[in-house]
Amino acid sequence: MLNGKTCNPMKKIYRYSILLLSAVLLAQPLVFAQDEAVEEKPKERPERPAFESGLLFDNATTTIPAANTLEMVIQHRFGSIENGITDLYGIWAPSNIRLGLNYSILDNLVVGVGTTKFNKMTDIQAKYNIVQQTRSNSIPVTVSVYEVIGIDGSPDSKFGVNYKFSNRMSYFTQVIVARRFNSKLSLMAAPSFTHYNSTDTLVDHDRIAITVAGRYKFSPQSSLIISGDFPFRIQGISEFTKETNETINHPKANICIGLEVATSTHAFHIYAGTSQGILPQENILYNQNEFFKGNIILGLNVTRLWSF
Amino acid sequence: MKNTVKLLSLLIAALAFATINMAMTQKEGEPWVIPAKYKSMKSTIKAGDPSINTTGKELYNQHCRSCHGTKGLGDGPKAKNLKTDCGDFSSKAFQDQADGEIYYQSFVGRGDMPNFEKKITDEADRWAVVYYIRTMKK
Repeated sequence: MLNGKTCNPMKKIYRYSILLLSAVLLAQPLVFAQDEAVEEKPKERPERPAFESGLLFDNATTTIPAANTLEMVIQHRFGSIENGITDLYGIWAPSNIRLGLNYSILDNLVVGVGTTKFNKMTDIQAKYNIVQQTRSNSIPVTVSVYEVIGIDGSPDSKFGVNYKFSNRMSYFTQVIVARRFNSKLSLMAAPSFTHYNSTDTLVDHDRIAITVAGRYKFSPQSSLIISGDFPFRIQGISEFTKETNETINHPKANICIGLEVATSTHAFHIYAGTSQGILPQENILYNQNEFFKGNIILGLNVTRLWSF
Repeated sequence: MKNTVKLLSLLIAALAFATINMAMTQKEGEPWVIPAKYKSMKSTIKAGDPSINTTGKELYNQHCRSCHGTKGLGDGPKAKNLKTDCGDFSSKAFQDQADGEIYYQSFVGRGDMPNFEKKITDEADRWAVVYYIRTMKK
């Protein structure tokens, strides 16, 4: 059970950050419009997407389907393989599932909703491509901002005696920088900030992390994919003393390696991962599994696109 | 036990009938009606452009191969489930068409052949696919 520990000053900082980010994004077209007025440049061709799908394991990529495309997402995480044949390497163990729908409003803006089995999480997501890598290499990378708001649907009692609806909220904000090096190799790095309004005892409300991921296409439709979410331990933003932090079980890296098969309308991932959470904020703040100690789970993702 | 064998035999016969029936009912495509605008359409890339064997090939493999097959013979794994025969890109009849006609059939589509304008949005990429299909000529 959570102790309902809340953090109002952080909420304010978070709110201001979102406002600032929105202001920067809205101001962008004006800056470009001014540039265009000065001189007419030949139209740059955007590079093809760095990744086949907007999803890579539990992470977002910079890929956004064309405007007016609906994407259905099914994410499935089995239990840990540690019990071996007893529960068929986690396949018979309790599993976590997320169903989601994303809709591309613009060629560079997608919004989505989803629901996840563990903690009865409902999530609202948005991803916006600020800049797009070009074929001339005048812009060498694609940069996206990605936001996930999670609403925990557990019973009120989970959040302690001073329950408020806002205790259920969690936020994940990420800047994704990706580059398609060639038709086979793409890499991305994505720093992120996670905030939970209410956490368990001895769990910080905030965590900065970085995600690194890549894919190597080895056949016309198949790629080797790999990613790692690495939560940082930063004393400066921790609510606990250095001594207390020495005794806490801090979140562990979520490492995933697998195979992606992508066709015109589908992307399919089968992989070995670490965290059984699916929303990125769950993986960053709560993952205690360690890939190299054998806490491995098997996972599947399926995405399907419909164009309108 | 006898009943089970009978039931299984019936099931297999029904499946075989359905498969044969599906294969039999696949029909030749009707002639395409292509708007004049597309017939006279000119490519935005040159024949021999390096993107034909990189981007064109990659996009063909991602979007077209599952029905049209690796060599464009119409023998991809999904082809037999379609109502309409996929045609043969290596044939003289197909290759004798104008570039714009192949462009229209490939990206605007009709019936079983879906529209790909939203999946391949870059104009030059579309032409790279058209020219990649040209390389399938016998």
